[in-house]
Amino acid sequence: MKQVISLTVNTDDIDLVVEPHRSLLDALRNEGGMTGTKKGCNVGECGSCTVIMNGIPVNSCLVLAVEAQGADIVTIEGIQDSPDEPHLLQENFMIRGAAQCGFCTPGFIVAAKALLDENPTPTRDEIRFAIAGNICRCTGYTKIIEAIELTAEQLNAKQTQEA
Amino acid sequence: MKHSNVEHEKLRNTVIGTSVKRTDLLDKVTGAAQFTADIPLPNLLYGRIKRSNVAHALIKRIDTSRALALPGVKAVLTHENVPRVLHAGSPHPRSASCTKDQYILDNKVRYWGDGVAAVAATTEEIAEEALELIDVEYEELPGLFTVEEAMHPDAPLIHDREPGGNLVLPPVTFARGDIDKGFAEADIIIEGEYEGGRPTPAYMEPNAISCQWDANGNLTVWISTQTSFMVRGIMAEVLGLPLHKVRVLVDHMGGGFGAKQDLYQGEFLCALLAKETRRPVRVEYTREETFLAGRSRHPVKTWLKQGFKKDGTITARQATMVFNSGAYGSHGPGVTNVGTSGLLSLYRCDNIHLEGKCVYTNSPIAGAYRGFGVVQAYYALDIQMDEAAVKLGLDPAEIRLKNAVREGDIAPSEHPVIGHGLEDCLTTGVKLVDWQALRKRPRDTTGPIRKGWGIGCEMHGSSAYPGIKEQGNAIVKMNEDGSAVLLTGTAGLGTGAHTALAQIVAEELGIKFEDVSVVHGDTDIVPWDIGAFASHTTFMGGRVSQMAAAEVKRQLLERAAKILETEPETLEVSLGVISTPDGRTLTVREAVAPTLGVPAPQFVGSATYHPTKSYSFAAHFVEVSVDTETGFVTVDQVVPVHEIGKVIHPVAAAGQIEGGIQQGIGHTLYEDYQIDLKTGRSLNANFVDYKMPLSMDMPPIHTKILETAPDPGGPFGAKGVGEDPIVAIGPAIANAIYDAIGVRFRHYPIKPEEVLAALESQTA
Repeated sequence: MKQVISLTVNTDDIDLVVEPHRSLLDALRNEGGMTGTKKGCNVGECGSCTVIMNGIPVNSCLVLAVEAQGADIVTIEGIQDSPDEPHLLQENFMIRGAAQCGFCTPGFIVAAKALLDENPTPTRDEIRFAIAGNICRCTGYTKIIEAIELTAEQLNAKQTQEA
Repeated sequence: MKHSNVEHEKLRNTVIGTSVKRTDLLDKVTGAAQFTADIPLPNLLYGRIKRSNVAHALIKRIDTSRALALPGVKAVLTHENVPRVLHAGSPHPRSASCTKDQYILDNKVRYWGDGVAAVAATTEEIAEEALELIDVEYEELPGLFTVEEAMHPDAPLIHDREPGGNLVLPPVTFARGDIDKGFAEADIIIEGEYEGGRPTPAYMEPNAISCQWDANGNLTVWISTQTSFMVRGIMAEVLGLPLHKVRVLVDHMGGGFGAKQDLYQGEFLCALLAKETRRPVRVEYTREETFLAGRSRHPVKTWLKQGFKKDGTITARQATMVFNSGAYGSHGPGVTNVGTSGLLSLYRCDNIHLEGKCVYTNSPIAGAYRGFGVVQAYYALDIQMDEAAVKLGLDPAEIRLKNAVREGDIAPSEHPVIGHGLEDCLTTGVKLVDWQALRKRPRDTTGPIRKGWGIGCEMHGSSAYPGIKEQGNAIVKMNEDGSAVLLTGTAGLGTGAHTALAQIVAEELGIKFEDVSVVHGDTDIVPWDIGAFASHTTFMGGRVSQMAAAEVKRQLLERAAKILETEPETLEVSLGVISTPDGRTLTVREAVAPTLGVPAPQFVGSATYHPTKSYSFAAHFVEVSVDTETGFVTVDQVVPVHEIGKVIHPVAAAGQIEGGIQQGIGHTLYEDYQIDLKTGRSLNANFVDYKMPLSMDMPPIHTKILETAPDPGGPFGAKGVGEDPIVAIGPAIANAIYDAIGVRFRHYPIKPEEVLAALESQTA
C-alpha cells in the first residue's frame, strides 16, 4: 500500500507517494525525479548516494523513504547557492581534477559539504575520514582531498574578510 | 577570469599544455549530468536477468509459466524464444580479438552467473520476483576452474570450437635470435613462476542499458559503453537489422577501464524485451552483477627464465604465459598477444622465445582491463630484474638502466622506439628520491615495522596496433561567428577526453578553447569510431581532430588571404586573430562574416587517420612499510615518473597517473575476485569483501611528468597515459617489500597472511 510522505528537499517542501519498502534513494530518483544522487551499489558500500538528512550525511540507499517523513534533505542538486554559480566545493572539484567520470562525485561533494558545515577547519586526516565511506575508482582520492582542503581554506578566508 | 591558467595561456599563446576547465565537469559536480540510468523514459519497464547457480551445465528444461502468470510481468525470454546467432563479445572489426563463442542465451551455461532468462515487468520488485518463479532444470557437467583442469587431455570441452583443448586461440609464439646460444653465454640463469590474481575494474557506474523501438522499427539504445559503434554493429548483426536502424547513445559514463568494451548479454535482452512489450525497457545491473557477469583482468601463470652476464647484461629470455579467459573468449586473443609480446621489450635482449596460451575455464569472464596483458607480463619481468640485481650484487636502478629499451630498438609493435623515455624516467626518478642515498641508509630494525624501497618500470603503447588496425575519424566545422564544432565518435570514460580534443582543435585552428564545442555519443551523427581503449583517445582521436581542424584552417586562411590581399601561406592565426607578417590583423569572426552580403561558405574538414603505435614510459619509485606482527603492507609514498610526450592537459594527465596507481595498489595488495574452486560460486561480489583502496589507504603521490620523447604520430607529439601507471606500480611494491623484509613474492595480490607465513618460515 503506497504512502504519502512530506519532506523538505533542497528547501522545497514536497510530497512523494512511495511504496513502504522503497529506499530514500529510489524515492528521490524515481518519484522525485532528482537523478543527481547515484546508485553505485544499493547496499551502503560505496557512498555514491550520500545525501544530508537533518544535518547528517547518510547513504540514502539504506534509509527507507518513509523514515524521511518530515526530514530536511539536501542532495547534490541543492548544494549550489544560486543556479548560476557553483558552490566553492564544486568549483574546486572541477579545477583541481577531483572529478573524472563523475559518478561518485555527487556523493563526495555532499559528504564534504556535511563535513565543512560541521567542522569548518578540518585537518587532512579529518577530511580523509569524512570521505572514507565514499569510493572513487578514478582519481586516487588525492585531488578530492586537496579540493576539500582548499575549499575550507577559502571559505575561512572569506569569513575572516567579512568579519 | 579567476583562473591563473588563463594568463599562462596568453603568455604562451597556446591552448594545449594548460589545464583548462573540463567541459563535462559542471554537469557532473551539480548533479545535472545524465548517466544511462538517469535518462527518464515514459512508460518504462524494468528488465532483469536470471543468472545460473551452477557453473557448467546443460539446461534440460526451463519453465516460465509461473513467472508469466505474475501480474505486472510483461515478457519473459529464454534460449527457446530469442534469436540464436553466434557472435563475439568483443567485436572489434578487423581484429585478432574477435572470438565468436556466445549466444544471447544458450541452452548451456558456462560459469556461475551466466544469464539464462530475462524478464520485463512494471516494477523492479515484480521483475525480481519473476526471476525466482522461472524454474530451470540443469544437467550438470564437470566444472573446470583452473587452467590446469581445463588443459587436461580428458577435460570436457567448454566450447565446441577450434582449436580445441579448451584453448581460446592457437598458442602464440614470439622469437628472436638464438635462445640456446643466449643461455650458453650467460653467467647466471634465473627462473621463476609468477602468478596474477583476478582484479576487476569496479567502475562506479554499474552497467546500464535502455532500449526503445519506434513504429518504423528503428531501435534506440542508451548504454554505458566505451565502444558505441561496436555495440551498434554487433546488435545490428545479431538482431538482423541494417546499421541505420540502430542508434546508440552514450553521453556521460561512470568509468569503464576497458571492461565496457564488451557486449554483456544485457544489450540484446533489453532490445528484445522492448520489442516484445512495445515499451521502453531499462536493464540496470546490480553491483553484484557487475562482478558476476562483468569482465576481470585475466588471471595468469607466467614461467620466466633469463640469462645474465655478470655485469647485468641480459643474454636470453624465455617465457610461457598462460591466461585464464574464464567462460568466454572476450579479449583473450588480444591480451595473450599483447601480454606475451610485451616480454620482447622493456629490457633489451637479443635471444628471446615466448609462448602465450589462453584457456577457457568455468570461471568469471576475463576481458579488457587497463594494462591489458602488460600488467601481467611486466609484473614477472620487473620482479625478476630485481632478483637478478640481488644475485649479481648490482644496484636495481643500474641493472634497469643498463638494459632499458632505447631509441631505435624494435618494440613489440615491430616499430623502432622513439626517444629514450625509459632511461629518462629512471635517471629522473633516481635523482628525485636520491636513490644512492636510500641504498646506503641505515635500517631501523627496532620495533615491528620494516621499511623498503622498490622500483617498477613499464612501457605501454597508445593504440592496439598491430593487433587491431585502428582508425580514427573526425569532422570539424566552423560556425558563422568563428567558433567551431568537433564531431567525434570517441567516448568519454571520465578522463576528460573531449576537453583534450577541444584543446587540440582550438590550438590547431587558432581559436580560443571556449570557442570549440564537441558533439559525441550519437552513432547517427558523429563519424565512426573504433571506441575508447588502448590509451589511444588523445593519441589517435586527438591527431585526427587536429587533421580535420587543419583542413578548416586551410579554408579559413584562403578566404582571409583574399580579404587581406595576401597569400594564405604568409598568415598566422592564434586565439581567434589572423595576422600578416607586416602586422595587419583580422579576427576569425571577421574572416567568416558575409562580404557584400554573401555569407562565407561552410568551412568543414573531415579526416581519417590510421595510427601505428607510440610508446609511453614510466618508472615508479615506491616506499612501503611492512608490519612484521600483522603482515600488513602499507604504501608510504609513490614517486611516479612518466614520459608521455606533449602533455595536453596537465591536471587530467596527473589524474590518470594517480588513479592508475590507486587501482594498482589495490591489485598488488588487496584485490582478488574469488570463486569457490569446487563449485565455481562467486565468493566476494561486493565492495565489502572485494577490498579496494579507500581515502584512508592512499599514500602521497609525487608525480613527475616528462615530455622528452614526443611521438610524431600523436597530436603535437602527445602520447597515451591511461594505462601506464597501473603497470609500473605492481612490481615496484613487490620489490619494495623484498627490500623491507627480504622475502620475494612472485604473485599478486600479496596478502598479509602470506607475508606473515613467509616471515615465519624465514625465521624457522
